[in-house]
Amino acid sequence: MSTARIVFRDVSKFYGEVLGVNKVNLEVAPGLTGLVGPNGSGKSTLMHLMTGLLRPSRGEVSVLGIAPDRPEELFRLVGYCTQYDNFPNGSTGLSFLRFALALHGYSKSEADERAWTVLAQVGLIDAANRRIAGYSKGMRQRIKLAHAHCHDPQVLVLDEPLNGLDPMGRAEMIDLFTDLAKEGRHVIVSSHILHEVDVISDGVIMIHGGAIVAEGEIREVRGEITSHPIQVLIRCNRPRAVASRLFELKHIVEARIVEDEGLLVSTRDAPDFFTQFNRIVIDTGVIVETVAPADESVHAVYDYLIGEGLGGGSA
Amino acid sequence: MTTPANLMQRRQVLSLVRHEVGRSLFSRRSLAVYLLVGMPLALMLLRALFMPGSMRADATHATTEFAEVFHFFLLRFVVFFANAMIFVRLFRGEILEKSLHYTLLAPLPRTVLVLGKYLGGVLSASLILMFTTTLTYVLVYLPHGSAGIRLVLSGSGIANLASYLLIVALACFAYGALFMLAGLFFKNPMVPAVLFLGWETLTPFLPTFLKVLSFVHYLVSFAPVPVSLGAFALLARPVPWWIALLALVVSSAALVLIASRVARRLEVTYSAD
Repeated sequence: MSTARIVFRDVSKFYGEVLGVNKVNLEVAPGLTGLVGPNGSGKSTLMHLMTGLLRPSRGEVSVLGIAPDRPEELFRLVGYCTQYDNFPNGSTGLSFLRFALALHGYSKSEADERAWTVLAQVGLIDAANRRIAGYSKGMRQRIKLAHAHCHDPQVLVLDEPLNGLDPMGRAEMIDLFTDLAKEGRHVIVSSHILHEVDVISDGVIMIHGGAIVAEGEIREVRGEITSHPIQVLIRCNRPRAVASRLFELKHIVEARIVEDEGLLVSTRDAPDFFTQFNRIVIDTGVIVETVAPADESVHAVYDYLIGEGLGGGSA
Repeated sequence: MTTPANLMQRRQVLSLVRHEVGRSLFSRRSLAVYLLVGMPLALMLLRALFMPGSMRADATHATTEFAEVFHFFLLRFVVFFANAMIFVRLFRGEILEKSLHYTLLAPLPRTVLVLGKYLGGVLSASLILMFTTTLTYVLVYLPHGSAGIRLVLSGSGIANLASYLLIVALACFAYGALFMLAGLFFKNPMVPAVLFLGWETLTPFLPTFLKVLSFVHYLVSFAPVPVSLGAFALLARPVPWWIALLALVVSSAALVLIASRVARRLEVTYSAD
């Protein structure tokens, strides 16, 4: 199996009679990958399988060439921030990280030094000696991220990592994930909030009912959905004039003016649309402010593929 | 970071031992264990307070009295249940706390995890129970004044205490291994613990071929003072100390080995637990 990728080969997981994930085949390359699906779709199961907290009922998983049932090798390379919001009783932020680092084989002084560095990274220096039980939801989320990240792993698996963080905290964490991905690491982030994944991910894995429904870069995935015309939003000074010219093209399905937004065009042939649109702009002399894809978002793609929203998760 | 594997595993085991000792001695849940081990001390204090003057004058009964207290109360009840409470929690406690995954996400083989937790449990249980045994021993002799103290400090008094402490330590190893395994297997390990207590209590009344299946049968081989087990007890030849030691060590090791096998297949499904 590949030593640079996370690979799932025909993986299924059953909890007794209940299906967790079914016949998953995946190859995750380095970079920031969003794992998207509604609650109960199998995101956490997939992450647990990746980190050996669950064993597949069928198939095999390999993380950078290592089987997850070899924790002594796997967790030198992998950090996992789970969705569980529980901590060992009585732990402070500092003691929690020190213990984790000691289990990673760091000496007392090394563990101390690293713990303070990571606490600074997640903004918890002032709360280091306070009990985690007294932390706010956002602080608990930060200390979990620090735990996953403290040993500088090559693969970071993060289950809903932005839950409970305030907007400033989200922005800081997103920056951290992006930086780590830029360094060539695997950063896998699950979320049921599509907007979040849209902003941060290079690629997405969409999961529904335990099955992978799509994977890849969001633009590629969108391009493969031929059943839905591609939507483009144009902001210009004379939208009606542009609309009337566009209707002459056979592949245009719809062109309507959306108040305060611009001209929303649906086309079945995006490349030809852009060629023809340039010509129209030159011919009519309209001033174009922006031309942007309107449905190349994770949310739109998910809607097209699954035919249902994620229950208010677009905010 | 590159640390030699043996140094890394030594650090990991030590960290686990320290962590478990901290959890067993200083957490809120340790209170139940302290209440349990406080029972013999409280009873001995009451005995000392209300002992008739005629009995105080004669310290020779104290040796037999402690032997009876040790066999029927300390070993079969306090040591047994304190071990159950401490060792069951090693895994089951963390599963119920939903915090076991933090240790499972460390780069340590599950065998090392089991060993570190077990040794942490043995150290904690031994510390608590050996201290309790020593204190109970002293409290049995104390009401007899200077004669009692002389008996405690005499050669045989110290030797007897050492034998009792050895029994307690061996009990922690043996019961500890059993209860740690029970904590990995059962959602409510206290039910099998109570059943096993029943078995251990029945041991004196069982034929020899069944006696060998209990820990207490081997543990009492180290007892310095014999006690009467009642009219219905089926007497068996005492087990030589080295066979008893071998049986306890081998069975504890086997149980720890089984526990590490079970731990290797352990999954984190807190909702199912």
